[in-house]
Amino acid sequence: MNEKRKNETPLLEVDHLAVTFYTPHGTFNVVRDVSFTIQRGEVLALVGETGCGKSISAFAIVRYLLPFHPGESRVDGTIFFEGKDLIAMPDSELQKLRGNRIAMVYQNPGTSLNPTMRVGLQMEEVLKQHLRVESKQAHQRTVELFDSVGLAEPDRIGQRYPHQLSGGMQQRVMIAMALACDPDLLIMDEPTTGLDVTTEATILDLMVDLKQRVNAGILFVSHNLGTVARVADRVAVMYAGQTVEQGPASAIFKRSKHPYTTGLLQCVPQPPSEDETNTRLRSIPGDTYAPEEVNLQACLFAPRCPMAQEMCHTEAPEILSVGDSHQSRCFFWNNVHKGIWGELEPRDEGIRETAEPVLNANKLQRFFGQWQRKYILFGPRVRPPVRAVTDIGFEVGGGRTLGIVGESGCGKTTVARLVAGLIPRQRGDILLRTEELAPMIEERTDQQRAALRMVFQNPTTSLNPKLPARHTIVRSLQKLARLSRKDSHERAEELARAVRLEPAYLDRRPEALSGGEQQRIVLAAAFAGESDLIIADEAVASLDVSVQAQVIKLLEDHQRESGTSYIFISHDLGVVRYISDDILVLYAGHIAESGPAECVLNIPSHPYTEALLSAVPIPDPDATPTRIRLGGAVPTLRERFQGCFFAGRCPRKIGPICDNTPPPVHIGPGSPDHAIHCHIPVEELIKLQSD
Amino acid sequence: MTMIRSGLVATWRSVRNTFRLIFRTWSGRIALPIVLLHLVLTFFGPLIAPYSPTAMPESIDQYQNLPPSPQFWLGTDQYGRDVLSRVMCGAGSLIATAGTGALLGIILGAVVGMSSGYKGGRVDEIVMRVMDGLMSFPTLLLALLVLFTLGPSRFNIAATIGFVSMPAIARVVRSTTLSLKNMEFVQSARLRGESTFYIIFRELLPNVLPVLGVEASVRFSYAILSVASLGFLGLGIQPPSPDWGLMISQSRRFLVVAPWVALAPMGAVASLVIGVNLLADGIRQATRMAKEDKHE
Amino acid sequence: MARFIARRLGLICITLLVVSVVIFVITELLPGDVAAMILGKEATEESLERLREELGLNRPAHERYLSWIGDVLRGDLGDSYALKMPITDIVGRRLRHSVILAAFAFLVGVPAAVAAGIWAGMHPNTKLDRLISMTALVGISVPEFVTGLLLILLFTSTLHLLPSSSIILPGVNPLTSPQILIMPALTVTSVLFAYIMRMTRANVIEVMQADYIRTAILKGLPMKRIILRHLFPNAMLPTITVIASSFGWMLGGIIIVENVFAYPGIGQLLLRSIETHDIPLLEVVTLIIAGTYAISNLLADLSYAALDPRVRLA
Repeated sequence: MNEKRKNETPLLEVDHLAVTFYTPHGTFNVVRDVSFTIQRGEVLALVGETGCGKSISAFAIVRYLLPFHPGESRVDGTIFFEGKDLIAMPDSELQKLRGNRIAMVYQNPGTSLNPTMRVGLQMEEVLKQHLRVESKQAHQRTVELFDSVGLAEPDRIGQRYPHQLSGGMQQRVMIAMALACDPDLLIMDEPTTGLDVTTEATILDLMVDLKQRVNAGILFVSHNLGTVARVADRVAVMYAGQTVEQGPASAIFKRSKHPYTTGLLQCVPQPPSEDETNTRLRSIPGDTYAPEEVNLQACLFAPRCPMAQEMCHTEAPEILSVGDSHQSRCFFWNNVHKGIWGELEPRDEGIRETAEPVLNANKLQRFFGQWQRKYILFGPRVRPPVRAVTDIGFEVGGGRTLGIVGESGCGKTTVARLVAGLIPRQRGDILLRTEELAPMIEERTDQQRAALRMVFQNPTTSLNPKLPARHTIVRSLQKLARLSRKDSHERAEELARAVRLEPAYLDRRPEALSGGEQQRIVLAAAFAGESDLIIADEAVASLDVSVQAQVIKLLEDHQRESGTSYIFISHDLGVVRYISDDILVLYAGHIAESGPAECVLNIPSHPYTEALLSAVPIPDPDATPTRIRLGGAVPTLRERFQGCFFAGRCPRKIGPICDNTPPPVHIGPGSPDHAIHCHIPVEELIKLQSD
Repeated sequence: MTMIRSGLVATWRSVRNTFRLIFRTWSGRIALPIVLLHLVLTFFGPLIAPYSPTAMPESIDQYQNLPPSPQFWLGTDQYGRDVLSRVMCGAGSLIATAGTGALLGIILGAVVGMSSGYKGGRVDEIVMRVMDGLMSFPTLLLALLVLFTLGPSRFNIAATIGFVSMPAIARVVRSTTLSLKNMEFVQSARLRGESTFYIIFRELLPNVLPVLGVEASVRFSYAILSVASLGFLGLGIQPPSPDWGLMISQSRRFLVVAPWVALAPMGAVASLVIGVNLLADGIRQATRMAKEDKHE
Repeated sequence: MARFIARRLGLICITLLVVSVVIFVITELLPGDVAAMILGKEATEESLERLREELGLNRPAHERYLSWIGDVLRGDLGDSYALKMPITDIVGRRLRHSVILAAFAFLVGVPAAVAAGIWAGMHPNTKLDRLISMTALVGISVPEFVTGLLLILLFTSTLHLLPSSSIILPGVNPLTSPQILIMPALTVTSVLFAYIMRMTRANVIEVMQADYIRTAILKGLPMKRIILRHLFPNAMLPTITVIASSFGWMLGGIIIVENVFAYPGIGQLLLRSIETHDIPLLEVVTLIIAGTYAISNLLADLSYAALDPRVRLA
């Protein structure tokens, strides 16, 4: 088998690829040394964190580097496609390969489709260009292709414009377009990033299905180890512009021979399962190697590596064979095992049972927009407001963490903003301990403001780009802790140390800080007011896993020391599972399920929770994928639900009762607080879900 | 105090960096000397001019419409005045009037745009409708209308230019403010209880400044064009002050016999606006480069 | 789409209302005494009183405004004070002349500017792009009266090809004597061309960075098709707005150009009414120019909506 493969020319052979950008601001070695091969019918995943050069390596294959950096770029090394040199190939010949033999799928399907052209036409033009078919044949083939990627009504979808399709449908169109000419090589650049987890699951299913149907090699670029485990045959791990490890998926996930890969795998919160999470998350200290540095006479991972020796800092390691088609760029690969990052620390459970809730929210409601009439002031009422949050209530216990999960559009961010007072609620009340909170932040007292803080998703925009990082901390101290100017600067430095930042960082502009450093500054500001409750709205969603773990651990430590409660909002069930004591599952502005974390994530669950859990990609190539998938899209929320809010997509729908009666609340086993909003009785759910 | 000082230092630093970037652009390198020359004329023109710009020689006939010569480099006009001196002295009033007008417009526009955009709601709706209404006038038309009723004085011209350029600036500033106000750093300022005034001037203003920089240079060039056009139409700076627009207008009668009288101020006004527009392009490129710096 | 049109129509009504109020406030309320303004310093108290009576200036401001705007809406534009004749009779011919000028500038300037802008945007920083961009920069920088006088110096003084003034006698159709149209039209076109070209170029450069252009390139489409089907429709959308706003520029420019060439259009009428302090005429002419501009913006919005499926099908 091995012998045979060696004699055959690989479909794609990338050898010592390096991409350098020469810009007015300096030289950037974005890709330093990347080598991999792809065979026909094989999926190679290129994995790495932000800035490691994975996407640029992928685009270098089709020689498309222009928009990444203004100015000149240089490509070194070789890229052979079926034995032909892609780098030296003339443009006209390359144009015949693009979209035909080599096709691509991109990260943002919404912006990658031409907004002013019907999707059918965008598809047909590929067929006409490369296969020279007549309009009629092209149209027919388009319908077939749309059908093959699982688009409903394939004969009519071509008439639509991109904005009329949901994100998942857009990505299916992109995939159909890539498959149009039956390509030999399919390059997919983060194809599921930005999609909801349930949509992601259906796209990944499609990919697994494609792998069997088409005889193409697939290059799958991703930062998400879970999705990689689901689809990849082989994995190449990138760090700082180099491939550091390469091998069969099972070898990479189970017997990694590079310290970076082992570290990365341990940073991912374990998938939500029935076992209690009782060990702490791991994080990789330090930050990624910056592309403008050129010191190649060392292992680039050495500054962050727990097993770095003297020679790692003075000599650059070559990529070495470490087993059956398994390679690693490490001098000491033989010593690499899971334990090199130290023993896993047990989680300190601390005191989690406090009687008094910190926050009590009741019957919150918020609609956006107003009824619109056909002719502004006159005519029939045509468009109702968006019912973003309808009757949501919850409680946050002292020193506890309430996790709120749901897909985009479920109302979780609106809930956070209602509680924080950034937008006023229309109905319902919020009690902070015993005080009623005013709807708007401006009307609340300074004590109330100090007691309730918020951390946002995007650390870059959470800091004023024109002011030094210390500004937000110092102002928070002055406004909320009532410190004098001098004291506030001293305390700011203490807070910086508490979030593991050197005080010197406080004088930097946000642009000079990495995403993780920015988010730690934001945390320091949130900790400034000795608050009772911190709302973290997707606070780790934009961070790389190794950095995400650092931030989660900081939150954990702070909670243990000061007894602060959290509302932790996330779409990532793994993260929520790890950090939450209680969980609230939202769908379409309604509560689907709520209760203690272990009850909500176990059988029985609300069918929506079940679907969410089943959609989560698991970073283990041997895991058997679950089969529950949601079709369709989240409802527009403009109509009041006559029956159950989930009836339109529910895989466990029992009949007309779901469509015309709002679901009752059943108390699940395990805890009196475990509430499931579903028509199906609890016993029935247990039976259904145990199979 | 420290807040103001640190603010000033930061502003100075960003201005210095911007200049450095401007000088790296192709248009900036051409523009800076041109603009600098005109600025020198603005401040020192009357001092270094060889003759008085307004005094007429006693024997007008002898000096009327003389072609360029070593004595009068750019010739003389219908009243026997030295054209070079008049052009040199005309820079000051034009640049000062246009500059004041543009500055006024920037300040007004920034205040209206930022407060209206940040406040939002009804107030914003009404303010923007009024701005739309004002923008329905070609600038020159609105300026003519206002000056017609107020009468042409240097102050009125500057005020008018400020007024007519305000709506467009307000609109640009407002849209920047709208995109900024939903950013998380503004939300966190609200969450820690900052006043609206503080948020607008301390949090938003530094971020609006780059936009204002581009706007300022564009508005300045429009202002020069408007002041010169008003002068040409006789509603600008009044004679006998040497105003380029007016000089061109008066020279029309002698266009055939003494074209130099027209050509000199024409060259002056054209070079000034070209310089300012090139500078605007340079600033725009520079801010774009600064933005790209951040993305890397 | 119906909603969109309804909304736009509503907004344009509000805008026109604001415009009329602004005109009324500036011309009749700011100067204090309109009668004194019209008659000048030497007027006697009697003649002032007579004029106030004649123009109805003794009534309260809001009443005057309502009756003025009511008359305008009914199509009664009032009488010119200086020319002593109905404004409707004066404006019509002048308007036709200006429209001819504007139409010429538009038909020649817009297509040329769009073509040049697209080419330059596709080939940024090449020699020809630098040349086109520099020409356009000079075009927006040089005032219309300078361009106009330079043309006169060239075509009249030096080449003796064209007449320096474009006076049109009553009853003469300007289209029958194109030689008088050439220079004014060229002047108006130069500014229009420069302005639209610069904006088109910027739009094209921006669209070139879009993800869907990347998709088109990596689909292996030939450059011609990418430009025609992917780049052009998307880059044209913002350009439509630019063209409409450049209309305002051009209207301002027309005032000057008509003055330079003594071309009897609406702009010259405006200047004449300012010189003769003919406030009723001034108000109407201003209303026409501002109204034209506002409506051109409306048309731009509507065509934008018609061409952009995101708005059309929203």
